[in-house]
Order: sequence, then C-alpha cells, then structure tokens
Amino acid sequence: MTKIKKLTVSAVALAAVFAGSAAVAGTLEDVKSRDKLIVGVKNDYPPYGFLNDKGEIVGFEVSLAKYVAKELLGSEDKIELVPVVAANRIEFLTAGRVDTIFATLGVNADRDKVIDFTTEYVSAAGPSVLMAKEGTISKWEELKGKPVCGIQGSYYNKKMTEEFGINLVAFKGQPEAYRALKDNRCIGFVFDDMTLQQKLKEADWSNYKIAVAPYEFTPMAGGIREGDAEFKAAIDKAIEKAEGEGKLIEWETEFGMPHSDYIAERAKAAAAKKN
Amino acid sequence: MFGLDYSWLADPAYQQWLLTGVINTLKLAALSSSAAILIGLLGALGLTLRIFWLDALIELFVEVFRNTPPLLQMLFAYFTLSTLGLKVTDPSTGLSVPLLSAFACASISLSLFGGALAIETFRSGIESMPRSIIEAARSLGYGRWARFWRIEAPIATRICLPGLTNILTNLFKTTSQASVITVPELMYYAGQIYNDTFRTLEMMILLLFIYVVLVSIITFAMARLEAFMAFPGYGKGH
Repeated sequence: MTKIKKLTVSAVALAAVFAGSAAVAGTLEDVKSRDKLIVGVKNDYPPYGFLNDKGEIVGFEVSLAKYVAKELLGSEDKIELVPVVAANRIEFLTAGRVDTIFATLGVNADRDKVIDFTTEYVSAAGPSVLMAKEGTISKWEELKGKPVCGIQGSYYNKKMTEEFGINLVAFKGQPEAYRALKDNRCIGFVFDDMTLQQKLKEADWSNYKIAVAPYEFTPMAGGIREGDAEFKAAIDKAIEKAEGEGKLIEWETEFGMPHSDYIAERAKAAAAKKN
Repeated sequence: MFGLDYSWLADPAYQQWLLTGVINTLKLAALSSSAAILIGLLGALGLTLRIFWLDALIELFVEVFRNTPPLLQMLFAYFTLSTLGLKVTDPSTGLSVPLLSAFACASISLSLFGGALAIETFRSGIESMPRSIIEAARSLGYGRWARFWRIEAPIATRICLPGLTNILTNLFKTTSQASVITVPELMYYAGQIYNDTFRTLEMMILLLFIYVVLVSIITFAMARLEAFMAFPGYGKGH
C-alpha cells in the first residue's frame, strides 16, 4: 500500500469516527437508516436478561427491548443484543457502541449526570429476609439483636447493623449462608429479594417464606445518551404502549417473577391514558 | 501520597467495626495461643513417658491437625456439627442450634492446629538435649523426675523458644481465616468496610500496619523472654 493510500484510509477512518460522535443527538434517524436497533442487555441476570438452554439471550428486559424494536422498525427481529455488565454498560452507551441499554439500570442522580433515563418500567426490590415458615417476625424492627445471616460486603449491611441493630452473621458466599440458615445458625437470611424469591421455588425450601418484605424499591429504566429528546420520546412511547397492553405483566409470568403492584399500577395508568 | 483517601476513618460506624475487629482478633489469638502451649506441653510430656498407645495417639493427633489446613478445620467444625447431631436448644429462641458458636469453633480449631505444631517443637527441644548432660545428671544421682524438672525442662524450654515464637506469630495471623465462618474479627470488618467505601488499597495498607504492630508486640515480648531466660549456650543475648 502506498503512503498516499494509507493516509486516505486513515482520513476516512477518522472522518467515520467523527461522524459517529457527531451523530449522537440523532439516534432515531441512525436506527431507522440502519434498520436495526442495537441494545445493551444483561446475559447473566435472571429474570431480567439471561441465556436459555439454547444459548439465546432472553428475559424480561430483553422482551421489552424487542418490543421497542418492533415499535420503531416494525419487527422485533430488527435488533442486535449486546451483552453488557454493570461496570461497562454506561461506557458502551456513551461511546456509541449501543443505541440504548436495558440492563437492570437503577435510576439515580449520579448516573443522570452522564446519561438520560427512559421512562421507568420496573421497581426493583432491595433486600428482604428469608425465614422458616413458622417464624412470627414480619418487620425489620423485630430483628433487633437477633442473629441474621447475610453476605459479606453487601451494600445494605451497614444499615442492617446501624439502623436495625441486627446481629449480622455475614458469610463469603450464598451457599454457606443457606446452609447456616438450615442449621439455625441464624433466624433468617437477608439478601436480594428477587434472588430469594427464586430460591423459594426449590423443593428444599418449601418450609421457608419471605418473612420481612423489602424496605426500599429502586426504579429501573433504560438508558440513552444525553439530550437525545426525539429518541427518548420514541422509546418512552413504546414502553408506555407495552405497559398499556399488559405486556410487562405477561413477561413477569413468562420469566417466573412475582407479580408486582408497581407494574400492575403502571399498566392501569398507561391503559387509562390511552383511552 | 498516591492519592490515598482515609476520610472514611472518620465514620464512627467504621471506627466501631475496626475496634471490635481488633478486640476479637486479640481474644481469639490469646485464647488459642494459651491453649496451644498447654496442648504442646502435655503432648511432649506424654511422649517422654514412652507408653506405646499414648505415643500412637499423640502422633495421630499431630498428623491430623498439623497436616490439614486450619481453614478446612474451621469450616469442618462449623458446618458438620449439626450433621453429626451435636445440637442444643437455644433457650432464647427455642430453636435447635449447633452446639458450638462460630467463635468457639475457630478457637478450638486454632488451638488444636497450634497445639500440634507446639508438641513437635517441644519434642524437638527435649530430644535435642545433649546425651552427655543427661548422663552427667544421672551420675550425680538425679532421679527421673528431678532430672526432668531441674535439668531437661529448663534447657529444653530455651531451645524451644524461637520455634514457639514462630508458632505464636503464625497463629495470630491465622486468626484472619476465622472471618470465613463469620467470626467478626479484623479481616471480617475490613472486607465490609472496603466493600462499602471502595477504598481497598487504603484498607489493605491499614491492615498491614495493624497486623505488623500487633505481631511485633508478640515477637518483642518473646525476644525479651529469651533474653531474660538466657544462660551461656542457650537463648538470646548471652
């Protein structure tokens, strides 16, 4: 290759990069001219996004992403799913590698400085407490001074010990904590509510229940690049349509999630708005 | 330097956790060290009696507890007690709980591990005694027990001290493994704090500092003991 040719190739590549970053504000046109929506999703986080037996990415958020693709481009197959993790998903979005992310993204002020959120579609529960069925405790305050199993390093451990006065018995991993609970080393296990709900479905755990409900819920939303009003409006409209049609409730059932009041109420509100 | 941020140390909750951690580490180390020395003395003494079945028993004990990881011993004690049916009823909750608490499991397994090492150290002290000294004592008319207490034990103790210092410092550091069975010692709380603050490097530097200080106290005390007990030929500073 001659020098001139090399230079030309570099210049074209550079121009393409600049064109890419300049086009940040007009994602909707990009998606339409490309005829494909590129979405960042989780592939290791059931029920939101995970690999099924055939190795396909499925899940609650994946179904929502496909629904959005159908609304924007007419077919739910006009989508490219890009697996992301919590640590890189915002970089994938801001660098233009994906158009939007539906990846268990909790809404908070720090993230809002860097990206925009779509309309919220799920309210994710924080920790709850798994206990034997015969237990009578049902409130966080009643756990004061009692030994409760947990996991070392969980973000809510400080609140458990400081605010609720729980005698936290924290293990390195989940298997040890489950075992200790069965041995009565602790009277309950405080952990991510969605994970505990899934655990209850196992035959081994039929004598247990979620005794104390989560004290907090964080709304989850899709993420899009800053200041892309047209694209945000299009995605929000698609999500609200899915809510109004009761699709999110269907997906809750499909992926074995407990039905949440939050989604039911949003479905009702969206349906009312449509009429 | 290196942009280290220790502002989280101002949080009273973290201060309390670190303090509790240090206290529990010290408790665990003190308890298991004393028990290990006691086990070591009894074991080595047992070996001098030259009783066949007792020798076999002590050797088996040493092989089992010296040759398996203390971490495994703790996990074994903690998780198999209830499987073996060793349970008691907790009067406050009415539940059937495993016999021993996490702290008890950690203390016992560390004591046995340290004890197995100590038996061998004390044995080496007794066996490295020059035969000529024993012959000399015998020729002076010392009986078996007088010989042991007045001649063998004092010399053997001085020979064993460096080895004993090794065992004690080792035991002290091994207490950090008790965090795995939820004993709230220094390492347990350190992990929680850096998970909260993401100040992992800062926490590790602080931990290094704390362990160095605490272990140095032991080695200093042992060095002073050696110097105090020294007589020509045996011990520091003669």
